[in-house]
Amino acid sequence: MKQPDDLIIKMQQGNEQAFETLYTMYSKALLGVIATLVRDETIAEEVLQDVFVKIWNNSHMYSVQKGRFYTWMLNIARNAAIDKTRSKAYKNAGKNLAADNFVHILEARSNETGKLDAIGLKKYIDALKPVCIQLIDLLYFKGYTQAETAEELDSPLGTVKTRARNCINELRKMVLNR
Amino acid sequence: MNEQDIIASGLLELYVTGSLSEEDRLKVETAIQEYPAIKEEVEKIESALMQLSESASAPVSDSVWREITAQTSGVRTLDHKPKRRNWNAITGWAAAILCFAGIFWMIKQNNDLKDRIRVTNTNNVVLKEKLENTETKLAENSEYLEVILSDDFTPVVLPGNEAVAPDALATVYFSEEETVAYVDVNGLPEPPEGKVYQVWSLTMNPLTPTSIGVLDSYDDNEYKLFKIEIIPGQEAFGITLEPAGGSEAPTLEQLYTLGTITP
Repeated sequence: MKQPDDLIIKMQQGNEQAFETLYTMYSKALLGVIATLVRDETIAEEVLQDVFVKIWNNSHMYSVQKGRFYTWMLNIARNAAIDKTRSKAYKNAGKNLAADNFVHILEARSNETGKLDAIGLKKYIDALKPVCIQLIDLLYFKGYTQAETAEELDSPLGTVKTRARNCINELRKMVLNR
Repeated sequence: MNEQDIIASGLLELYVTGSLSEEDRLKVETAIQEYPAIKEEVEKIESALMQLSESASAPVSDSVWREITAQTSGVRTLDHKPKRRNWNAITGWAAAILCFAGIFWMIKQNNDLKDRIRVTNTNNVVLKEKLENTETKLAENSEYLEVILSDDFTPVVLPGNEAVAPDALATVYFSEEETVAYVDVNGLPEPPEGKVYQVWSLTMNPLTPTSIGVLDSYDDNEYKLFKIEIIPGQEAFGITLEPAGGSEAPTLEQLYTLGTITP
């Protein structure tokens, strides 16, 4: 997807319409990441809400000249979700999604009726190697750096890069050519 | 690295997930500016990851956007409903000022009340002292009255000595059973400065006077009624005027009153 730079600039100038369009484009993908981290749909929506308020209030800190807008938002979302999981209120509340990573979330989702997207995707995800699932989970959902991932997987830094390439290539074949 | 090397390296994937070091990130950003194919590749990686997490997401409730707009609408655009915002601010400040004024007023009220409590407490102490004095006095008076009215105490009238004080008169209330007696000296003139009345009890045969009391608190005694200790077996009482502090033996030239106890 091409990044809608004109909308982002309009939002940075205070255009609420542009902000709403961007929300429509990105909110679902970010909610998926947040939900994987907080494992509770209600809490995930609360976090998503805070994240978009932050995006609006801090939009001047992003520049279309450098970095992906989605990556910038992704960092805000993951940090907010991780902060949430460290809060006292969160620790005291029971989580309604018993999941370790996005695959479990996908499974839970595909069991609900009418989630054809998830059902279709799950078939492909099932074909992903476990090592790829773990790698994508760490890099994308949990926000690990390359160095942290290498340490977690006990692999050299270069291997993390190569695997990231291969695993996400697999994913692309599944989701983009569906 | 050329275009294809960068694409194949895995750097772009890590760039999208935000996992690169600052150095590598800048490297990728430069490459994106330079090669449109790299930018296109980044977009594809991003799309794939977004689709993945969208699949892991429940549908986003409408309430989320409503809450976001409630918090962001008009917050940054200065020309948006300025009146209403100002009004809120004014109301807020007014409430704060009122609140502070209220607090100060209450503190003042409280201090005033504390002052009044202090004054009242002082008054209470004074009144309590007065009450105690009155009660003591009342008890004394009751005691005197009881003595005077009682059958146990016999009044012995001591008429004035014709030679010294013909108009003087004193009364001793005494009882055979008690070791105390009460001397009423209302009928005696005020003693001159430096002099005191001294009360004596006497036995007649032989005539032996014994001092039973020096009335040195004459001025302080409101009723001129003195409580004195007596010795049993006495037959008469007399009162003489003596130098301050009293004397060993009565000065008979200054014998004011004398009376015998009639059995």
